[in-house]
Amino acid sequence: MSEAKKNVKMTVFKTDRHEDLAAMFFVTIAVVSVLVYMAYIVPSITLQAPMDGKITAVTVQPQAQVNKGDLLYSIETKEKKYAHEALEEKIVTKEIHAKTSGKILSVMAKAGDEVKKDKNDILVLEHVKGTLP
Amino acid sequence: MEEKHGMTKVVAIIPGLAFMVLTLYILRTYVEPWMTTAVILGQKGWLVKVLHLNYILLAIIAGMLYRNLLWAGKIPAWAEEGFRTTRLFIKAGVMMLGSLYTIQSLAKVGGVAITLIMTFVFGTILFVMYYGRFQKMDRSLVGVMAAACGVCGVSAAIATTPAVRAKPADVALAIATVLGFGIASMFISPFIGHMLHLSDYQFGAWVGTGILNSGQVLATCLAYNPTIAPGTAVAYGEIWNVVRVISIPFVVFFITMWYWRAEAEAEHVTLIGIIKDKFPIFIIGFFAMTAFSSLGMLGAEGSATIQLMRTVMSWIFGLGLIGQGAYIDVRELKAAGGAPLKVGLAAGLCKYALALVVVLLFVSKEANF
Repeated sequence: MSEAKKNVKMTVFKTDRHEDLAAMFFVTIAVVSVLVYMAYIVPSITLQAPMDGKITAVTVQPQAQVNKGDLLYSIETKEKKYAHEALEEKIVTKEIHAKTSGKILSVMAKAGDEVKKDKNDILVLEHVKGTLP
Repeated sequence: MEEKHGMTKVVAIIPGLAFMVLTLYILRTYVEPWMTTAVILGQKGWLVKVLHLNYILLAIIAGMLYRNLLWAGKIPAWAEEGFRTTRLFIKAGVMMLGSLYTIQSLAKVGGVAITLIMTFVFGTILFVMYYGRFQKMDRSLVGVMAAACGVCGVSAAIATTPAVRAKPADVALAIATVLGFGIASMFISPFIGHMLHLSDYQFGAWVGTGILNSGQVLATCLAYNPTIAPGTAVAYGEIWNVVRVISIPFVVFFITMWYWRAEAEAEHVTLIGIIKDKFPIFIIGFFAMTAFSSLGMLGAEGSATIQLMRTVMSWIFGLGLIGQGAYIDVRELKAAGGAPLKVGLAAGLCKYALALVVVLLFVSKEANF
């Protein structure tokens, strides 16, 4: 089957090169839209527990300003490692840092709370416009 | 059919495209959540846990049902232009796939493992090319089958399709062959692994290299050791699998050059000429996305931005796959005969057995990462 005939059947574009360029343009639009939406349009995000565990300390208060990398809270979790055909479990404390700068709007969790991954809300952060939360 | 231009063409695209969007919306909003809770054969989520059905396979199945049952073998005129956007979405999805990986994640695996995985990927491709020619298979089908057997079933077959002008039936055959092979190896591999006393690292390395589909690598590793933790078979299997998946753009390039070189020989065109005219430039987008991801320009790992980016990617892929399914005509599958199955199974078996031998000879019991 000739290239032209196959193209008529499978694509709305004149050639593969046109289709490649259109796909690249489309992805650029999609990626830029997501980045602009998250950086400028979404006002705040709710941070949920990144793992199962127990909150040991919340180091921020509502209305506090935080910078990227600041400690937000600590969570005690079970870390599993499989070695020598046996499962080793140890309790470790993980520190959760801000991925972007902004203002804490509210804090829902407190020290001692048991939390489940992606189920429990920890805090709401209003990120600085132009940063990616 | 009359060729449309400009705004007429854009308007003609809308009904079919809207139908694809609506289908995907129903699949993702209602069917997918239902599958995770439905009790079949006494097991909750049987369709997901045992059959490994996900939105990718659902989208292809929905498209196939539309064409072969609802529309009696032909996409209706009102939907035809919309369904022709299929390859655009697949190419866009392949580019966005690059955002899943970072150079840092590759560095974890190490040079020896990367060399080993790449040797198997390209060794399998060359085997399929040779044996496919011996079986007098169509070159487009050989190209798709080579990608499917070399890398990982669904994604690689789909990524190669537009570059080698394969028919959707070719893709369906390639996917069916590697998934069928994968299901058999899912049951056999844990048994072999235990019999040979493989460590979790060795088992993960073996199935991460030898099994052809990403989902089945995961399932097989979990069947060997159900624990999900660093140091288990599933953790190692997935890391090895990432390296294999990231080779997709190289594989697409290699197979494209192989396919068009033969076409060009007949027309006396040089290799440079082929690269200039036929190089699938959309794979540059894949590398660009990996570079952006590695530089943190798409948001930090685990951030809300990255999560939204992945949701967008899954919708783009989903749209492309509904269209892909709608171009699969079951009559073409029957017409293809047994040669593709023979080639796919031979390639799969050789890779599976050789990977085991190499792992036993060269991979230590414990990982150094």
